[in-house]
Amino acid sequence: MDMYDGKKIIPGLLIFLGLVTYPFWHNGVSGKTGYVPKPKLPVDKKECVEPKDYIRVNHKDLLDDWKSSAIRKGRRTYVASNQKRYTMSLTRTCMQCHTDRAEFCDQCHKYAGVENKCWDCHMFPKEIKKE
Amino acid sequence: MTDKREKILGEDTVLFEHIYKTGKGFYITVSILGGLVLLGLYAYITQYQEGLTVTGLSRQIFWGVYITNFVFFIGISHAGTFISAVLRVLKAEWRRPISRASELTTVFILMFGVGSVLIDLGRPDRMLYAIRYAHFRSPLLWDICSITTYLTVSSICLYLALIPDIALLRDLGEKREWFYRILSLGWTGTESQHRRLDKAITFMSILVIPVMITVHTVVSFVFAMTIQPLWHSAIFGPYFVVGAIFSGVASVIVVMAILRKAYHLENYIKPIHFNNIGIFLMAMTLLWFYFTFAEYITIVYGNEPIHMDIFWSKISGKFAPLFWLHFVLCFIIPLPILAIKKYRTIRGTVIASISIILGMWLERFVIIVPTLTRQRLPVEQAIYIPTWVEWSIFIGCISLFMLLYVLFTKIFPIVPVWEIREGREKAVSQVGERIRSYLPDDKG
Amino acid sequence: MELKRRGFLTIAGLTLLGLTAKPGWDIFSKVELPEPSPTPERLAKKKWGMAVDLKKCWSLEKCKDCIDACHRIHNVPDLGTLKEEIKWIWPVPFEKVFPEHELEYSGEDYHQKPVMVFCNQCDDPPCVKYCPTRATWKRKDGIVMMDFHRCIGCRYCMAGCPYGSRSFNWRDPRPFIKKVHLEFPTRTKGVVEKCNFCEERLNRNLLPACVEACKEKALSFGDLKDPGSDVRRALYHRTIYQRLPELGTKPKVYYIL
Repeated sequence: MDMYDGKKIIPGLLIFLGLVTYPFWHNGVSGKTGYVPKPKLPVDKKECVEPKDYIRVNHKDLLDDWKSSAIRKGRRTYVASNQKRYTMSLTRTCMQCHTDRAEFCDQCHKYAGVENKCWDCHMFPKEIKKE
Repeated sequence: MTDKREKILGEDTVLFEHIYKTGKGFYITVSILGGLVLLGLYAYITQYQEGLTVTGLSRQIFWGVYITNFVFFIGISHAGTFISAVLRVLKAEWRRPISRASELTTVFILMFGVGSVLIDLGRPDRMLYAIRYAHFRSPLLWDICSITTYLTVSSICLYLALIPDIALLRDLGEKREWFYRILSLGWTGTESQHRRLDKAITFMSILVIPVMITVHTVVSFVFAMTIQPLWHSAIFGPYFVVGAIFSGVASVIVVMAILRKAYHLENYIKPIHFNNIGIFLMAMTLLWFYFTFAEYITIVYGNEPIHMDIFWSKISGKFAPLFWLHFVLCFIIPLPILAIKKYRTIRGTVIASISIILGMWLERFVIIVPTLTRQRLPVEQAIYIPTWVEWSIFIGCISLFMLLYVLFTKIFPIVPVWEIREGREKAVSQVGERIRSYLPDDKG
Repeated sequence: MELKRRGFLTIAGLTLLGLTAKPGWDIFSKVELPEPSPTPERLAKKKWGMAVDLKKCWSLEKCKDCIDACHRIHNVPDLGTLKEEIKWIWPVPFEKVFPEHELEYSGEDYHQKPVMVFCNQCDDPPCVKYCPTRATWKRKDGIVMMDFHRCIGCRYCMAGCPYGSRSFNWRDPRPFIKKVHLEFPTRTKGVVEKCNFCEERLNRNLLPACVEACKEKALSFGDLKDPGSDVRRALYHRTIYQRLPELGTKPKVYYIL
C-alpha cells in the first residue's frame, strides 16, 4: 500500500492505540488483575435487610427509596421480602451492623470508583474519634 | 482577496474589516479580559471549595452582590429587544446600524444573569433539581421559564437577522467558508427569500416584546411576592421593567460608542443615532424618576413603622451614601445632558449612559440589601461588606461578556450589512410612500 | 457505495434495537421492592403545637437548657460569629419579639426579658411557597419539614420567612460541632436548616428535646386537636400572644404571659 508519510503515520497510530487502550492492559501487565475487593462482613449478624445477592445489586435504589420515603413521606417502616420489619434509616439500621466505612463500603466503592455523597452528612463512630 | 471583497461589498467594505484585520488592540484587549476572567474563575473555585463563607454575606443579609448582579444583568438584556424588536415594529429606520449590536448584548448578558444566580447557590451541584423537582408555585420557577423563553426567542431573532450577512461572508470565500455555508442555510437573496425572512423576523420581534416585559416583571416578583417591608409592593413589576429598559438602553449606547471607535464605523453609527437614542433615554430617565417618586412618597405618607425604619436607613442612615449616589447617577447627572441638545452629543450621551449604568447597579443593591437589614428580625447590627471574591466574580462576569462579544465580532459583522443596504435601496422610498399615505390624496 | 433506502432502514432499525435493548430489558427484569407500610394513622391525624410559658421561663435566669439540648442532638455547629451563626432556638428581647405590645405604661418589667424563638411551623408558611425544589413543605401533622438532600441553597425561604427562623450553612459545619450526636446527620455547606419540632423523636413517641430539657416546664408540646394534651391545657384560660399574627402565617407557637 502506497501511503504518504507512512513511516510517521503507522507508528503514530500504534502509539495512539496503545494510549487509548491503556486502562485495559495496564492492570494485566502490573499484576493487579487478580485483585478482588474484600469488604469485612459483620461478625454477629448473619442476614441483611434483604438477601445478599439482591442487596449487593440494589442497595443504591433501596437507600434512595428509603431516603425519600422516610423524609418526604414520613413512612419509616420497611417490610422486607421475608416479612420482617426494619426502620428505614441508614444510620439506625444499616450502620448498626456495618460499623466501619473503610472496612466495608469503601472496599468496593473505591475499587469500582463509584462515588457517593452519603458520608457528607451521615457519620460513623470511628470517624468522630479521628476528628 | 481584497479585490473580490471590494467588488462584493463596495462601499461597505469597512464593515467587514474587523473580521479580517486583527490589530494589536485586539490582542491587548483579549489578554486583559482573559486575565480578568481567570481572576473571576479563581474566585469562584475558592467559593466552591470553601462555601459561601468567603463572601460578605451573613445570616441577616444573605443576598447581596450576586443577586444584585442577577437583576442588573437581566435588566441590561432588555436593551436588545427594545432597540431591535420594538423599534422595528414601530418602523423607526434609525435602528438599522445598531440592531445587531444590541441583540448580541441581550443574548450574551442573559447568560450572565442566569449565571449569577447559579453562582449564588449554596449547592450548585444540585442546580438541576430546580428543573427535576420543579415547584411551580415559586417565583424562581417562573423566572426559569420566562428567562429560558426569552433567551431562546432572542437567540432566534439574532440568528435570523444574521443569515443574509453570513451568506455574504460565504460568498466572499475567505477563511471559515464551510462554517458560513452551513449557517447561511442556502440563502441566495431572492425576493421571495427576503419576504419570508422579513415575515419571520417581524413575527419573532412581536413575540419577544411581551416576553421581555414578562421577564423583568417575573424577576421583580422574586422580591414583590414576599411579605418583606419595602419589597412587597405592586409597583415592582412595572418599576423593574422600566429600570431594565433604562439601564439596557444606556448599555447599548456605551457598546455603540466603543464599537464605533474601535472598528472605525463613524460613517455608519452617526451622531444622529446617539441623538435619537439619547432622547429616548431622557424619556426613560423621567419615567424612572416618576416610578421611584411614586414608590417613596407612598411609603413616606403611610408612615408605617416597619417601612419607615428601612426608609430612613436609605435616606439618612447606613445606606444614605449609596442611595443618594444612585439618585445623582441615575437622574441628576443624565437629565441635563440628555435634555439639552447642545450636550446630547456622542460624548454627552456616553457620559450620561455610564452614569446611568453605575447608578442602576446601585439602585438594585439599594432595593435588595436594606430590606434584609431589618426585615422584621430583631437584629442588633447587620452590615454587609462584599469581599474580593464577590467583586472578582462580578468583574469576571463583565469581562467574559466583553470577551465573548469581541470574539463574536471576529466572526460576524457587527453592523448588519444587509439592513444598511435594504435601507439604502428600499427604505428611503418606502418611508416616502408611507408619509404620502398619511397626507390627503392627490386629486386627479 | 450508494446507500439504498432499504439499506438505510435496515441500519436504522438495528441501531434502534441496539439502543433500546438494554433499557428495555432492565425495565422488565427489575425486581419490585416490597411496599413499605403506611404511616401509622395516629401521626397523620395530629396537629402539633407548642406553648411557651414566659413567666415560668423567666423564673430561671441565664438558663440555656433548651438551646443546649436542641443543638446537641441535632449537631448544630457553633460558629461563634453573628455573620455565620446557625441557631434553631434562641432568646430574643421581649420588645423585639412583640413590638406591638404596649410596655411604656403597663408597669410590668418585660423590657429586655428573653423570649425563646424558633420556627413557628406556620399553617400557611411563606417559606414553603418560595422553595423552587420543594425541599421544604408542610406535613399533614403540621410540621414544616426540611429535606437536606434536596436543598440547593438559594436562600429564598430565608427571604420569605418573616420571623428569621432559618439559618444557612456558609461553610462545612463539621469542624464546629462540639460533640457529634451520631443518630442525627450533620448537614453539608450550602443548605438551609431550622427547627423541625424534633420530628425524628416524635416518630419514636418522644417529646421534642427542648420540651424535655426545660427544668421549669415552661415549654408545653402536644396535639392541638386533643383538648387533653399538654399544650391545650397550658393554653386554657390564658391570654395568648403570637408573633406577627397579622401577616396571616398562622403560627403554631403560642406565648403565654
